[in-house]
Amino acid sequence: MTHLELKDVSKAVWRNVNGTKIRSQIISNIDLVVQRGDLVTIMGPSGSGKTTFLRLINRLSETDSGDILLNNRNIKDYPPVELRRKVGMVFQVPVVFRGSVRDNLGFGMKLWGEDIDLNVLARDADIPESLLDAGAEQLSVGEKQRVCIARALANRPEILLLDEPTSSLDMESARIIEELLLGLCEEKDLTIFWVTHEMEQAKRIVGRRFVLNKGRLEEEHD
Amino acid sequence: MTEIPAELIPKIPILVLTMILILLSAAFARRFGLGRDISLAGTRALIQILILASVILLLFEMSIYWSVLMLLAMTAIAGHTTYARSGKLEKGLPMSIISILLASVLLLTPFFLLNIFPLEARYLIPTGSIFIGNAMNISSLAIDRYKGEIKNKRNEIEAYLALGASPKIATAACLTQGINSALIPSIDNMKNLGLVWIPGVMTGLLLGGADPLEAASIQIALFTSIMAAGMLASSLLLHFSTESFFTGAWQLRDDLE
Repeated sequence: MTHLELKDVSKAVWRNVNGTKIRSQIISNIDLVVQRGDLVTIMGPSGSGKTTFLRLINRLSETDSGDILLNNRNIKDYPPVELRRKVGMVFQVPVVFRGSVRDNLGFGMKLWGEDIDLNVLARDADIPESLLDAGAEQLSVGEKQRVCIARALANRPEILLLDEPTSSLDMESARIIEELLLGLCEEKDLTIFWVTHEMEQAKRIVGRRFVLNKGRLEEEHD
Repeated sequence: MTEIPAELIPKIPILVLTMILILLSAAFARRFGLGRDISLAGTRALIQILILASVILLLFEMSIYWSVLMLLAMTAIAGHTTYARSGKLEKGLPMSIISILLASVLLLTPFFLLNIFPLEARYLIPTGSIFIGNAMNISSLAIDRYKGEIKNKRNEIEAYLALGASPKIATAACLTQGINSALIPSIDNMKNLGLVWIPGVMTGLLLGGADPLEAASIQIALFTSIMAAGMLASSLLLHFSTESFFTGAWQLRDDLE
């Protein structure tokens, strides 16, 4: 069943080069069909547009042309609040909000007025119960990233966008987060887009592999 | 050669001193990139105050309707100044004018309703201008800081948006910071009222022969009202300007200056 479809999607951004603004086409006429539960890895060199590609899917950035369909409905027809609940995102650099870990995990609950078992959520994201009442800003980067993952999962998204979620971590934390995410992928019925620039990591992620190069998305086959 | 009238002679050194100070301040401020701003603002202030001095007595004789119109014109100029400080935000001009107007009217009215001041141009224009000027200062500081916070906290704001939060929720901490920073000078002044500086209205009332306690009461009432007007104007402005930083699809704009 088609979950997400990109039809002829293009996007250019303005880049500041030596004080001059230059328009750079980073996504060019991309077509892609993703089935529910697919794990899609996107590789590409730095600046190739991987992050922008993800941001188009939850509309943090806008396409210049083309359509993106979620459950056969154009994402522009979804209210932003509904789209972003369905499409969660974990950023490269973890950003925790002021307050305790519990406040962070309960953010979605407060927003939606729903009741979620935060202890189960924390356990799923490998956050020790003893950390729940700790100040989120005092945590290590690895712990913060786990909080961000759990916070995104608290919205019960259908799609999870992972923007190099391990690249700002030390090797040990990166390995833990990677295992956690791979475990969650299997456990939850999620469609996942995982952006990485590490070839080795991409090989460890079982699923469809794409390379974003000069604005084009090319699928790699083993 | 025309001779300078005798009554102008003592004023010439004051004006010369002012011009020298403007030039020196502007020269010093060049290292902070503020030389042009200070020389322009100083020259404008000098010309404007000289024009005001020549017509102020006429203004005080105006009818109440004309003085209200004059205060509206002052509010429009104040709103434009705050709007320019905001980086000319979309819809920023009407938002600035309305915020300053509402806050000033609301906090100024009790002084005339309670007969603290008679409803005459000679009272309405100077007190109104104090409210408008302070509301403008606090609003300009607040919007400048708010814009800076939004630019610097792009990652945090987008983390909120990505979870489905509205722009209002995503920028709540930036808004608080904007208002807090803008009110620091007023709060510090209030803390030191009568200790570090002796305020102008009280001095004027005392020189005019008012009872010191009465002068002090009016001063503190004015002072708190002015601060409240500034806080209200800046809160309204920041509240209504939030949407201007975002697109209709709750995307933080890329083109924030």
